[in-house]
Amino acid sequence: MSFNWKHYFKTFSLKELMQGMGVTGKYFFERKITIQYPEEKTPISNRFRGHHALRRYPNGEERCIACKLCEAVCPALAITIDLEERPDGTRRTTRYDIDMFKCIYCGFCEEACPVDAIVETNIFEYHFENRGENIQTKDKLLAIGDKHEAEIAKMKAADAPYR
Amino acid sequence: MAEEFVTIEINDQPVQARKGAMLIEVADNNGISIPRFCYHKKLSIAANCRMCLVEMEKSWKPVPACATPVNAGMKFWTRSDKAKNAQKGIMEFLLINHPLDCPICDQGGECELQDVSVGYGSNKSQYAEIKRVVQDKDIGPLIETEMTRCIQCTRCVRFGDEIAGMREMGGVGRGDRLEIGTYIEKSLQSELSGNVIDLCPVGALTAKPSRYKARAWEMVAHDAIAPHDSVGSHLQVHTFRKEVVRAVPRENDAINECWISDRDRFSYQGIASADRITKPMLKRDGHWYEVSWQQALDATAEILRAADPARTGALASATSTVEELYLFQRLMRGLNIRNIDHRVRQTDFSDQSAAPLCPSLGMPIAQLEQQNAVFLIGSNVRQEQPLLNHRIRKAALKGAAVMALNPRAFDFNYDVAQQAVAPADMLQALQAMANDPDNAVMATLKNAEHAAVLLGNVAVQHPDFAALRGLAYTIAEQTGATFGYLAESANTVGAWVAGVVPHRLSAGRELKQAGVPVGEFLSENTRTFVLLNTELADFANPQQAMKALSAAENVIVIAPFADNTTRKYATVLLPSSTFAETSGTFINAAGQWQSFKGATVPPGEARPTWKVLRVLGNTAGVPEFDWVATEEIVAELHLELDGVAVCNNRYAGTVGRDAKSCVSTTADGAFQRIGDVQMYRVDPLVRRAKALQAMIPPAAVQLNPQDAANMGVAAGDTLKVSQGAVTITLPAQLDAGIPAGCAGLQSGIEVSNVLGAAFGALQIAKAG
Amino acid sequence: MPEIRNFTLNFGPAHPAAHGVLRLVLEMDGETIVRADPHIGLLHRGTEKLAESKPYNQSIGYMDRLDYVSMMCNEHGYVLAIEKLLGITPPERALYIRTMFDEITRILNHLLWIGAHALDVGAMTMFLYAFREREDLMDAYEAVSGARLHATYYRPGGVYRDLPDSMPQFLPNRFRTEAEAKRLNANRGGSLLDFLEDFTNRFPGYVDEYETLLTDNRIWKQRLVGIGVVSPERALQLGFSGAMLRGSGVEWDLRKKQPYAAYDKMDFDIPVGTHGDSYDRYLVRIEEMRQSNRIIKQCIDWLRVNPGEVMLEDSKIAPPKRAEMKQDMEALIQHFKLMTEGYCLPEGEAYAAVEHPKGEFGCYIVSDGANKPYRLKVRAPGFAHLSGLDEMVKGHMLADVVAIIGTQDIVFGEVDR
Repeated sequence: MSFNWKHYFKTFSLKELMQGMGVTGKYFFERKITIQYPEEKTPISNRFRGHHALRRYPNGEERCIACKLCEAVCPALAITIDLEERPDGTRRTTRYDIDMFKCIYCGFCEEACPVDAIVETNIFEYHFENRGENIQTKDKLLAIGDKHEAEIAKMKAADAPYR
Repeated sequence: MAEEFVTIEINDQPVQARKGAMLIEVADNNGISIPRFCYHKKLSIAANCRMCLVEMEKSWKPVPACATPVNAGMKFWTRSDKAKNAQKGIMEFLLINHPLDCPICDQGGECELQDVSVGYGSNKSQYAEIKRVVQDKDIGPLIETEMTRCIQCTRCVRFGDEIAGMREMGGVGRGDRLEIGTYIEKSLQSELSGNVIDLCPVGALTAKPSRYKARAWEMVAHDAIAPHDSVGSHLQVHTFRKEVVRAVPRENDAINECWISDRDRFSYQGIASADRITKPMLKRDGHWYEVSWQQALDATAEILRAADPARTGALASATSTVEELYLFQRLMRGLNIRNIDHRVRQTDFSDQSAAPLCPSLGMPIAQLEQQNAVFLIGSNVRQEQPLLNHRIRKAALKGAAVMALNPRAFDFNYDVAQQAVAPADMLQALQAMANDPDNAVMATLKNAEHAAVLLGNVAVQHPDFAALRGLAYTIAEQTGATFGYLAESANTVGAWVAGVVPHRLSAGRELKQAGVPVGEFLSENTRTFVLLNTELADFANPQQAMKALSAAENVIVIAPFADNTTRKYATVLLPSSTFAETSGTFINAAGQWQSFKGATVPPGEARPTWKVLRVLGNTAGVPEFDWVATEEIVAELHLELDGVAVCNNRYAGTVGRDAKSCVSTTADGAFQRIGDVQMYRVDPLVRRAKALQAMIPPAAVQLNPQDAANMGVAAGDTLKVSQGAVTITLPAQLDAGIPAGCAGLQSGIEVSNVLGAAFGALQIAKAG
Repeated sequence: MPEIRNFTLNFGPAHPAAHGVLRLVLEMDGETIVRADPHIGLLHRGTEKLAESKPYNQSIGYMDRLDYVSMMCNEHGYVLAIEKLLGITPPERALYIRTMFDEITRILNHLLWIGAHALDVGAMTMFLYAFREREDLMDAYEAVSGARLHATYYRPGGVYRDLPDSMPQFLPNRFRTEAEAKRLNANRGGSLLDFLEDFTNRFPGYVDEYETLLTDNRIWKQRLVGIGVVSPERALQLGFSGAMLRGSGVEWDLRKKQPYAAYDKMDFDIPVGTHGDSYDRYLVRIEEMRQSNRIIKQCIDWLRVNPGEVMLEDSKIAPPKRAEMKQDMEALIQHFKLMTEGYCLPEGEAYAAVEHPKGEFGCYIVSDGANKPYRLKVRAPGFAHLSGLDEMVKGHMLADVVAIIGTQDIVFGEVDR
């Protein structure tokens, strides 16, 4: 085996280690890419599938007609619906529960809804403090819908041409 | 006429078919699917939906498969381009005016329109104009309408004509303005009206009681047997989250074909009634206390052991299952209690020892429609056993002579030579027939190839039952007709077989020491009563029953329901199950044993009745009382029967050719009450079915117009009606079908709960 | 003399280098492994059994959760099997989108692998660099499907939605001035394709950096060269696939051998190793990232000039457009039926496999003609790889087990299913 000067030079000069240090050194002086979460957030797509919400029509009436398509299409069986006939003859829910522990955020419920009532919003920061809070009731879902209606409407309108 | 078979070709496959059969029928038999809306195998052919268009050789146009009779050598293609295009086109036309209701429509998910559209329709509609809207109709408490969804297949119209026998629905208008409705807004009265819900291929006619209850895919289907009449219709009970939300027919050509009566369809509503008992209860010092099962059973066993057998009466309803009834009599006899009975509506027990093992129809149900002559005695079969009536109707439409001898003119949906005579005169009328072989009825029966003499509920409840039966049997014997009973309840046959009669053991075996029938022990003399599924409204004479039950020291009630009346006389309430909550067996009129499994569980602490009885037997210390499944009980009963045919109506009694009627007509100015049972008040379950209760006409006294005129009473006048010591006021109704001297006042209904005998005397006076 | 017995060591399931929930029972002779017995099943969720009780489409989301670092590739295998049985082919644009996202997924997977592998072996910074790039790709995932990981984007008959024409933007805030936000948004001004093109332009540079950090690094080489050598014959016998097979010098890639989606129209090379050791597998995966980048570029070019449908217009399988569904009776019925019952597959069976980042991922569907599978079998590459673990680690040191688990690129979502 011949004596390889190049190899010895490389080994003792720590060449490849220095090159590696060079890469890290370069980034030491680069602009930081850190995002100051939670004060600052990364942008969120219009298609984002976060916490659910139930929407209303502009006149304040609930959109949901209790057709149970979302319940049927839900792969995780997370949705439970009870319904009644209102005195005016319309079909409405009396209970609309989503078990957020079961939910897999696949977005099928939103896809199935014929009246755009159940939607997935861009809310991804939520937590539960007590047992049972994982069940999001109709009232809670409607409240979320009411609070974020402008944003939801904007998101859904932006994505409508693709669906 | 021998049937001729020909070979045709469907989709290039040779197929054998009866000559002249419609193509769609042939295709169905061979598993070739052709879409259809208006065609239904049990209805006539309308060929108005055009959905079943198929391509036929040598035909320029596609032909409707439902109206094309096949002949040798014909060739059809059901999925050729031509056929597909035709079907696609028709589907598009049908959907033009269909509203976008799927999400709110109860039919969604089980809708033929959806299925056919997905299977045969196109992807997109070319119609962008305004859709037609039809005003909704209210056709009663059973059926919800949404006529905009109607596709005018006219199945419901044809059903009314051909099956229900009363044309209640029809089409108004032409073309796209054609609307299906009831001409004048009224509710459907047919006892089979609910079947239009199943017939309707779309969501135009849906069940009102189960409206918005559950989606088709959420319900779990359980096979069941209808618990109300002796047909034993095959049901499918659908549960949603363990609650029964609807009942639909299961097809069985030998029993109920594809129909069920409204009573069987909607009675499930009673299951969730507010009267349900969910905890065992004991009455102490006039107050009810909820107790544990152990306490309740201990108390019950104690009462039964301490009771004097001679002064104890045990009554079970014939709507209970065979297993329940068998355990009931075993339990009572194990405790030496011999006064056991189920015949609470019967009053004449004089020939009970001559009675056959059980009162059966004497032939398979389907054979009814083969009869050439039918003689009904004391039967309002249309209301009592609607599907047996349907069979008789089919026979009548084929030309059979149907005759009837009734205490009043009952409504039939076919031609009946009906003789309406006062209850007291029925015996005499029958005697006249039996004694005169040349009588028209006798002659018709004799000349018919297949003839049947059938005893109905009214005859069984009649005070002269024994004599009527003897005469009817003689008539049948003399004319060579089949003798049969239109058994009253779902399990009347089963109650006899299980031995819930005072004079016979189960399987008709002999009893050493017989008890007395209900008519005798239902008195103040009896100190202890045990009631299984029996309520005051079930008794032939509620007044007498109330008196006896109130006077008793202990009344043990084993039932799913307890209303305020029951709570008044009962001292122990043991909550049990309805037909949907237990496994069990019913034996229908034709002697068919039909077992079923529970569809759901009883609410609260209520338990399946047979389990209650079994544990009660153990608690009371009855020996050999340890079955673990209903199947074992039935098997044991089968062993006891040892091959004895259930369906043998041989009667060994004397024939009352010159018997005297015991209907009381003596009292001055008294009317003979005709107290047949209201069809929706026959048993505890149906009495609690809300929608059916809304179908019951307001209570009234029906009088012969001549009698009314004599009394100066006009229709609608208020009458004072008294029976015994009770007087109630009811509006008068005039009915020419009521014989003179009689008054129609039905049993089972709320007001008659305070009255006396169903066929007793009524004092009627004009009020005010 | 006392009897000397081998020492048995439990490795995992809570060991950070166990890549999830692997429990290895190691029989040690001093520092040397005599036997390695992987115990699996701690992440078993019964995906295959669950699929038998729901309509076909409802299981797509569960496929994401098999190998949860290469989500869309799992979906691809599943929808491909359904499509095979239905006998349908999605529109061409959908095929290109799938190809593009398969490759994005491959890069995502390899980035996670190189980060975690390097971290296991001792190179901390790799993880940070790899995740920086993953961020961009997950933004692409989110832009197209709405979820950064579990996309549920592929459907039998195509993909759910077309690529968006705009990307979400950074907003100025108290940490970032308008100018800074603008700089961050520089590559977000156009469509998703612009965003991805910018990425593909940058990415080869990043890979060069990774190589600078690792390829020649003496520690890295000492830990990988000659570790876990698998001969090509043995690799085939063990059912290895993907980089595990190619690292041993077998040129086998489903994208070339039985092209699916739009791979037959792509120009790319298959790297193979020569020694079959961990270092070769590293080199193969690094080269695969470069090749994936090439494929993405080609897809972007094609997708730019070929607009069109991304879902088959077959109402029996694909739900109609929402706008149609709201005003067209036929469309509403189709929608209703598809959402509640789904579609039925013809009776039969089908196996479809894709070249998943980890190897051959296949779905075997048996249909009895109903709207749900009679049986679904998932062929996960990791399972075969893990069963070769014993052979690979035998005779190596304990520390090498970590390197070999790393080189196998094990993810327990798919092994346990």
